Amino acid sequence: MPPKLVLAFDTSAAHCAVALVLGDRVLADVAEPMTKGQAERLFPLIEQVLADAGYSYDDLDAVGVGVGPGNFTGVRISVSAARGLALARGIPAIGVSRLHAMAHGATGLTTTVLDARRGRVYMQYFDNGTAEDAPKMIAIEDIDMNKGQIIIAPEDADFIEQYKMAQRPVQSIALATALIACDTIDHDHPRPAPLYLRDADAAVSSEPLPTIL
Amino acid sequence: MEYEHAMGQLAMEQNTTILGIESSCDDTAAAILQQSNGKGVILSSVVSGQEDLHAAFGGVVPEIAARAHVERLDLCVEKAIADAQISLSEIDAIAVTAGPGLIGGVISGVMCAKGLAAGLNKPLIGVNHLAGHALTPRMTDGIAYPYLMLLVSGGHCQFLAVQSVEKFTRLGGTIDDAPGEAFDKTAKLLALGYPGGPLVEKAALAGDPARFKFPRPLLDRAGCDMSFSGLKTALRRARDQIVSEKGGISKQDRSDLCASFQMAAADTLAEKTRRACLAFLDLSKAHSPTIAVAGGVAANGVIRGKLEQVAKDAGFDFLAPPMKYCTDNAAMIAWAGLERFNAGYSDDMTLAARPRWPLDQSAAPMLGSGKKGAKA
Repeated sequence: MPPKLVLAFDTSAAHCAVALVLGDRVLADVAEPMTKGQAERLFPLIEQVLADAGYSYDDLDAVGVGVGPGNFTGVRISVSAARGLALARGIPAIGVSRLHAMAHGATGLTTTVLDARRGRVYMQYFDNGTAEDAPKMIAIEDIDMNKGQIIIAPEDADFIEQYKMAQRPVQSIALATALIACDTIDHDHPRPAPLYLRDADAAVSSEPLPTIL
Repeated sequence: MEYEHAMGQLAMEQNTTILGIESSCDDTAAAILQQSNGKGVILSSVVSGQEDLHAAFGGVVPEIAARAHVERLDLCVEKAIADAQISLSEIDAIAVTAGPGLIGGVISGVMCAKGLAAGLNKPLIGVNHLAGHALTPRMTDGIAYPYLMLLVSGGHCQFLAVQSVEKFTRLGGTIDDAPGEAFDKTAKLLALGYPGGPLVEKAALAGDPARFKFPRPLLDRAGCDMSFSGLKTALRRARDQIVSEKGGISKQDRSDLCASFQMAAADTLAEKTRRACLAFLDLSKAHSPTIAVAGGVAANGVIRGKLEQVAKDAGFDFLAPPMKYCTDNAAMIAWAGLERFNAGYSDDMTLAARPRWPLDQSAAPMLGSGKKGAKA
């Protein structure tokens, strides 16, 4: 079977990241740091990546997309784009969690950790890149420090003292997403959906309703 | 000669097929509209509402809305394509609401549209949601420019002189809340449920509109601006007064409160509409003027009755498009996109989602148009 051409992108944090792979061959792996403007930048960057590699949207076999956890709006930017593009091309859109992407290429027991703010982290345990359990949000102090190496996102380097000796991901977020998508291209994929791991910030009004006599 | 020219134009524009996408509030929508012999034909219009998701909160929760949109947009597009019995490749352009609205939903719609436009290699057209509403009478009834438009919904309330696809003159509008918001708040304060519009109207049927003297704000001031936040507060005070006297409100109290509230909102809208008609005539010198209404609040029978009377007295034709095209939908976005497309406009892939986007760019910023003020 000829190698598959897979485009992947991620805007779940302060970056706009795009990768293009042909099977296990890396054709592009770019990430531009930005805290806002990903929605405007994403497609021009994708088009640049495709053009530089000599391909067009017509050539794609699948789209890989980072589903978070991370910035809610950032995740929605990429997931919406991937679902629209996949529908237009009639190709699968494959959602990849950032916790999974961070574990890609790592060997042995691994815990991937992302700063979830407010004293919490998003985390997941992996063994040789395969998930051991479901991703979840827990208090920082509840991480099991004896579950092999800890991998944290590059931008979270300083968020807590005890992770100073933590590892960085082996691959960039977009590249890992592209490679995972390419590896699983023949699986049945549900449509990618954001992985929030945190409930929507909404409270039912506490104001008492009047008694109806 | 002119006739030939017009026919040439039509031949050129024949069978333009537009996909419209809308996700600026709590409805995810997609529609296919085809221009055939100069007229817009709606081939499909899919609206996936979220009332059930927001009911417990008594209003739209932006994060909840955004979470629903991102997982429904492509499904709505697929259904719109299937309902229209066309294939994706027959789409000539993709029109999408790029604002104003709740940014989480707008940005998802814009990104889905960009993905579709990129994958289909077709033009992308960003549409102002308010332009969608304002141009709806042209889609449904084929009326000519210029005309007067009242947009009155849960998020918007303004008078516009609609002069062309690009020229909208804002004659006035709310300086704070939209009336639909006040209806929802009223329903919440009176334990009626959500959405408030139909519930308040129903409760008001058995009520006395003269029992409570609620304010008609800004009637003493010239112009067409309105305010509805004081009305909300007045209603709360009246309710609290009754509760403090007898420990609760009776069903009759509730009906009277609803009827009095509704009448105050209707009176304010009617008087401001009367003034807007005069302002429109000053501006346009139109011989057979038309006023059109759009937005969910236009479904209220009492309000609509008053508006129709005001229009008649002012010598205007009154036009209310079918309710499904008056409330949020994607057919209107496809139509506005078509008008922009025919006028030579399209956007590139840097199209931005805008939470605020006044239609009339030349109008002075509204009172309170900061972060917490009027929305558009």
